Amino acid sequence: MSPTRSLLRALPLFGTLALAALCGPAAAETGFTSDVPILHEEALEAGIDHSYTGGWEFFVGGGVASFDCNGDRRPDLVLAGGASPAAFYVNESPTGGALRFRRLDTGLDADDLTGVLGAYPIDIDNDRHTDLVLLRLGRNLVLKGGPDCSFEKANRSFAIDGGRAWSTALSATWEKDNRFPTIAIGNYVDRSAPGTPFGTCEPNQLLRPRPGETPDYSEPLALEPGHCALSMLFTDWNRSGKPDLRITNDRQYYRDGEEQLWQMAEDRPPRLYTKAQGWQRLTIWGMGIAETDFDADGLPEYALTSMGDTKIQKLDEEAGEDRPTYRDIAFERGATAHRPYTGGDHKPSTGWHSQFADINNDTLTDLFIAKGNVQAMPDFASFDPDNLLMGGFDQAFHERGEEAGVALPTRGRGAVIEDFNMDGMLDLLVVNREHPASLFRNLGAATDWGHRPMGNWVKIELDNGKINPAAVGALVSVRTGTRTQTRRLQIGGGHGSGHAGFVHVGLGVSERATIRVQWPDGEWSHPYRVFANQHVRIIRGEANARYWYPATP
Amino acid sequence: MTLRKMGFRAVSLGIFMGVTALAAADEPWAERTRELDALARLPSGVLSRAELDALTEIGKALFEANFTTLDGVGRPEATQAIDPTRRKHPREQVFFRTAGPDAGSCAACHNKPATGGAGDFVTNVFASEGFESADFDSLDPQFSSERGTNHLFGAGLVELLAREMSHDLQAIRGEALRQARAGGATVRLKLETKGVEFGFISADADGSVNLDELDGVDTDLVIRPFTQKGVMTSLRQFTVNAMNQHHGIQADERFGARWTGSDDFDGDGKAHEMSAAAVSALVAWQATLPAPTRQVPQVEGWAEAAERGEAKFTAFGCDSCHRPALPLESLSFADPGPFDLAGTLNDGQVPETAVYDFSLYDWAAALPRDDRGRVLVPLFGDLKRHVMTDNQIDALGNELLAQRFVERNIFQTAELWGVGSTGPYGHRNDFSTLDEIILAHGGNGRAARDAYADAAEADKSAVIAFLKTLVILP
Repeated sequence: MSPTRSLLRALPLFGTLALAALCGPAAAETGFTSDVPILHEEALEAGIDHSYTGGWEFFVGGGVASFDCNGDRRPDLVLAGGASPAAFYVNESPTGGALRFRRLDTGLDADDLTGVLGAYPIDIDNDRHTDLVLLRLGRNLVLKGGPDCSFEKANRSFAIDGGRAWSTALSATWEKDNRFPTIAIGNYVDRSAPGTPFGTCEPNQLLRPRPGETPDYSEPLALEPGHCALSMLFTDWNRSGKPDLRITNDRQYYRDGEEQLWQMAEDRPPRLYTKAQGWQRLTIWGMGIAETDFDADGLPEYALTSMGDTKIQKLDEEAGEDRPTYRDIAFERGATAHRPYTGGDHKPSTGWHSQFADINNDTLTDLFIAKGNVQAMPDFASFDPDNLLMGGFDQAFHERGEEAGVALPTRGRGAVIEDFNMDGMLDLLVVNREHPASLFRNLGAATDWGHRPMGNWVKIELDNGKINPAAVGALVSVRTGTRTQTRRLQIGGGHGSGHAGFVHVGLGVSERATIRVQWPDGEWSHPYRVFANQHVRIIRGEANARYWYPATP
Repeated sequence: MTLRKMGFRAVSLGIFMGVTALAAADEPWAERTRELDALARLPSGVLSRAELDALTEIGKALFEANFTTLDGVGRPEATQAIDPTRRKHPREQVFFRTAGPDAGSCAACHNKPATGGAGDFVTNVFASEGFESADFDSLDPQFSSERGTNHLFGAGLVELLAREMSHDLQAIRGEALRQARAGGATVRLKLETKGVEFGFISADADGSVNLDELDGVDTDLVIRPFTQKGVMTSLRQFTVNAMNQHHGIQADERFGARWTGSDDFDGDGKAHEMSAAAVSALVAWQATLPAPTRQVPQVEGWAEAAERGEAKFTAFGCDSCHRPALPLESLSFADPGPFDLAGTLNDGQVPETAVYDFSLYDWAAALPRDDRGRVLVPLFGDLKRHVMTDNQIDALGNELLAQRFVERNIFQTAELWGVGSTGPYGHRNDFSTLDEIILAHGGNGRAARDAYADAAEADKSAVIAFLKTLVILP
């Protein structure tokens, strides 16, 4: 059965959810006074001409990986192609200038690069060349990164089987004292099971490294039950220092399923948090997870995309250290984003990739959501523009997608918010289904004489040493005045899309900041004093931060 | 450009005569400062002398104005912090001696020997970082650092020197990076500009720079020439800071809705307290204050003593930091400037800067030039920060707080021009004689201090005679 037909069966329940939300967000559209970034779409001019294509299996997926593959610290790209081969692009954008990418021929077998739904960058073998996991319809592919954007298949050398599943999600973390990362892979429908697709969600997989000097994942563990995961994220939700695994699942296909939180414990299989432990049943068409920490209290909030309402979950007052009870604050924050904000189509939206970032450098967290009809679902908006929900000083989000320029007639899927031209202003790439990817350059704020820069910023790269050199799992705390902002370095989340490299923090009008790092093993660094508008490198054990400067064009 | 093009609004009383229906605040006798609204828009382009005079007239009026609550004095819901920061609890009093607002006008403190000058000990201010709701009512240095009021004469030249030096230092960084990338190896270069050394910078082939060997300059290689710590980039940044701290008048360019979500961030009921154009007028007036000069009193023996004292000043090594002059390439002062960051208007935030040509002023045109045609700015400083204490001499290390990343015993070399007219002597303005402040030099100033201390009394006296010829003639 097609997703279109099957979705109709679920509409009555959805209708109840949607009606509540259609009453409008609690936050009125007043009071947004910060800069709205002008995002100029220039994919084709920049050399990126790539569409995510394919049939039913590729209605989901469409991810992108952003990471540096040639050592120049500019973020390069790998775009999933679905039925088309995944595409590799080397970033050749001049600093602060128009975006420019060069298509890279990796020499890899086109068959291996076909059927890719998602892509996540991660340095699995700690050699400081970022590796890549391509989530595929069928055998997942692990590519070992080398110099100058060279890649070689590493399933065998890393003893990662790759399976035969329809893989749609990934997250990774370094568990305590492990030399190599633990990798969770989320799977979707088991197409070979009786009765498929309904109630036939494939179990997910947990790949823990075996002891040794080289990566060895030859003993994968099944995470059952699987509920058709579309995004997963290792997250330290309770400030314990030990991340658990959160999974958002697509209710379209599961029976008796729900959102999941796996409790990770060393040397034993994960266990699901239960209702008795405070985990409340939530069933959504979960598509993407994004994490932030609005008030830097160490207890993160999560954006969960779905069909209709976006959820923003915050730990409830009834929650405890071992009690993950969440409440939805999307309505009070004006971030339900449940239907298109422009174009006249009042049917519910379909949300995919979500990502928090400060895209106008005003210190307030913004939220991007890629939107787009699954394919041609008549009960959902056909013109469903991506959301750019700008955080306001009134604690609410304000939709500014149209003004920014992202309200395009595309079916968005995966995305990445990234500073491609190293000017401190975040740009955006969106992978679209059956349509060329969109690449937006952030020009700054519009004025009557041109564009002007927005607030100050700092970008931070961590060096954790020999093991987990990119410091996955570290917490970066940036203090300006009385304000603290945090960023967690994570592999996972979004919709099939991952990022590695500099972490960006908007500083508003602050010209300097004090940075502390909680390294992945929990140790806090001393404070590093840095000035704004710098690329900062913090090398564990060094007294002072270093700055980094891009090569002049 | 005409004054009309610059957006001048008439501010004389006469313009209002005969108008029958005036809002209360527009009455000629209204208790507010009309010059705050005198400019409709930012000045731009190269200004003629007449235009500069008109602009600086407004700036001077603002500098001397006794601001009132109708102007926006007071910040009951905001602290004095440079970063916009709300108080946890509103304050009832408008004025507050330590955390501010602590002055009715700029000139209330900056008045020795004339408006724009320095201030007596009674005008000391308290430079707490103040990010928290600093209801500090104590003079305990763990809460604040007490600072004397500096004079502003020649400040425009100082900022121009700092800009050129910042540009030079950043160019050296760029060259180190270029060489490192080209050669594939680490390159270490000396950071030197206008004869002043700021340590070394090492660039790696991957584009990283190691900042461990910097000396006396911030890690972004921006010379911040203002305040005794040397932590403020520009007159514009200083002005925006001071208007908030000392008066509770908040400039839109930092405290406005764009950055705070409110047009009345300080919660005093007055929105849009200070426009960018008003800030520009204040900057223009301060920037064009004449440079201090030399004048030998018509007293028998003083000239001879001053000449001998200047030689001793050099012989003792005082001039290693108190450089008699630094060369300046250009007398064109652009506002907003190039090195301010968001929160203080900079040249990237406006379509066109205003340019003030200091050579239009006799005092600037008369400055000596070197053989390359560069103006020799006689500031007796190096715009560099130094350690000012050691184990024996630590009078200048009497604070407990670092300020803006600068440790407690480190201060920028005080420019000595004008020292014959006014203090402050020492950052707290608590030395009553030049002799005392010279003897308080420890750390990087210790050798010169010891040479002075060990000298014959006649030589020490001669140095004082020399220093007293460095005067402000407004």
